[in-house]
Amino acid sequence: MTYNRPLSPHLSIHKKVLTSVFSILHRITGIGLTIGTLLISIWISLLALGADYFYIFKFISTNIIFKFFLFIWTVAIFYHLFNGVRYLFWSFGLGMDLKTVYFSSYFVLIFTLVATFGVWFIR
Amino acid sequence: MKNYKNKWIIQRVSALILIPLLFWFIFQCLSFSTMEYSQIIIFFTSTLNSFLFLIMMLVTIIHAKLGCDNIIEDYVSGKKIKFISKLTINFLFYLSALIFILSIMKVSLL
Repeated sequence: MTYNRPLSPHLSIHKKVLTSVFSILHRITGIGLTIGTLLISIWISLLALGADYFYIFKFISTNIIFKFFLFIWTVAIFYHLFNGVRYLFWSFGLGMDLKTVYFSSYFVLIFTLVATFGVWFIR
Repeated sequence: MKNYKNKWIIQRVSALILIPLLFWFIFQCLSFSTMEYSQIIIFFTSTLNSFLFLIMMLVTIIHAKLGCDNIIEDYVSGKKIKFISKLTINFLFYLSALIFILSIMKVSLL
């Protein structure tokens, strides 16, 4: 055996049920947020290099496409956050029966929507 | 085996640290996107702000590294590709951690 830990089944094996979709979305948002973090490191290096370099960011940030990605970024953060809280409970074996899992899935969706709209429109 | 247990714990502890920091961080990032250069520099001259931002980013990088390692292990088969992809991603993480430390130092001590 070359693997020491249990592996997750490959995507094609899963039937598209709510739990598997939520799990895959958690990983997709995780990868997206990782790329976001690397981009933030470019942002802070522009800031450290000085005002002349920071104009590059100023130029990009006025673009509507940037605003769109910023919006998607907040959705991904809140989804990963609220779904992650669920996983923390699961780590302690809490809320793992099917009924609670489905119930908390809807909570993740509602919290993600409310938090995203809150942060963009009420702030 | 023991290594994986530690990683599992660190992944969850880093998640717990990130939860409260994230709410502060999102608000800051959204206001950064419209702030002027001088305003952001003033923000980072506060030691508390610089400290929180750096802690936020370093814990995020640790959390992201553990998550990416898991994903690679689950979906990348083949020893060689697995090794190369882990190496590349780890290099990017160390590089960005270094960038964050140096940049925050420069901006906050300016």
